[in-house]
Amino acid sequence: MAYKYCVAENWGKGFITHDDASKFQVSGFPGNVWQIPANSQDANLWVNKVAGTFKTKAEAQTIVDAEVATAQAAWDALTDEQKQQPFNRQRPTAIVLE
Amino acid sequence: MSTYYGTYGQKVQYLASDPSDPQIGQVWYNSTSATLKVRQSIATNSWATGGSMTNARYGQAGFGTQTAALVAGGINGPTYKPQTELYNGTTWTANPTGMNANKYNIAGAGTQTAGVAFGSDGAPGGQTELWNGSVWTNNPTGLNFGGEGLAGCGTQTAALAIGGSRPVGPTGVSSNKTESFNGSTWTVGGNLNTARSSLAAAGTSTASLAFGGYTTARTTATESYNGTSWTSVNSMGTARYGLGGAGIQTLAVAFGGNSGSVTGATELWNGTSWTTSTSMSTARSAISGAGTQADGLAFAGYNGTTGSAATEEWTGTVTETKTVTVS
Repeated sequence: MAYKYCVAENWGKGFITHDDASKFQVSGFPGNVWQIPANSQDANLWVNKVAGTFKTKAEAQTIVDAEVATAQAAWDALTDEQKQQPFNRQRPTAIVLE
Repeated sequence: MSTYYGTYGQKVQYLASDPSDPQIGQVWYNSTSATLKVRQSIATNSWATGGSMTNARYGQAGFGTQTAALVAGGINGPTYKPQTELYNGTTWTANPTGMNANKYNIAGAGTQTAGVAFGSDGAPGGQTELWNGSVWTNNPTGLNFGGEGLAGCGTQTAALAIGGSRPVGPTGVSSNKTESFNGSTWTVGGNLNTARSSLAAAGTSTASLAFGGYTTARTTATESYNGTSWTSVNSMGTARYGLGGAGIQTLAVAFGGNSGSVTGATELWNGTSWTTSTSMSTARSAISGAGTQADGLAFAGYNGTTGSAATEEWTGTVTETKTVTVS
């Protein structure tokens, strides 16, 4: 499936409604990046509703990469003991947008 | 030989008021409101965003219902988040007091007005705190086997602590322990067949379901508990740890976790098997769950780079009475 991307801040209740979810799948990524189907009028209307800004895939990937790099730097700065804690054991890994 | 039923079907009931316990598929005419009605089951099976928390976090305790939930404890990067927040179905409100100790990788059970939190990353990991609706109190006794990454279910006075990594710290290994709580003390119960940590659970202390987690790898294992012993049942479709769960032993929902990377995958349990359903919008692990398979709640978690403040509300299959219109 082909996708489009936008950046929008999740304000909470009403950001994605059950009606939205019944029409198309929205997938979130770090950096407030949201992935939607490329050929969905409903998804385009949703981006307008949430005051989203469309991004190319490359632009969206750059935003996500920056978030991952920040998280990796934070992980690298942890002590060895902290890295043994269950949810710190895995260094944040790259996220590749489809 | 033809019959009236075979030719014309059942007659529509003519009632002055709606029946008190209508069955799915039942049709009747309400003579008072002059409306034709039907009881039906509608599978929405979707996630919608709920109010965002003030404190993004992961590894927290969370429990309650879709419209009355609680989150407390957890961590975001190097910063502990002892703060307690309460959800009313729309917004999270910060409670004046947080947990008594900084901790994460906590489990919990109960309601927004009577809860219990147990297990944590801090040795010995057995510490138990009780929530009365406004403050946390340290329980005099903790788990018999302290650990972290346990699953919890039940109520404050009848809770289960399941699996986990015990003891706390680098020497911890996936545990098969189960302990039950009566409001004041923990008692060791039956062992899981598959020892694991970072699993999820749903149900009560005498009828629960444990699913997913981490053994020495991600697992799909699902087990059912009768208050005494665990029985292995059909496995999940997606192996994962750090997932959330909601519901009861026979109607549960599993969501999120780490399946190699963070995931929003959702599966529904019908008492016999799991089926894949609609994914959450925000993939994350170390997530909390509350509510039921019909009205569930997912909140907090680790999104792959940082703690999440996101809340998502699950609406599953809803049974409702509809007025039939023929215009």
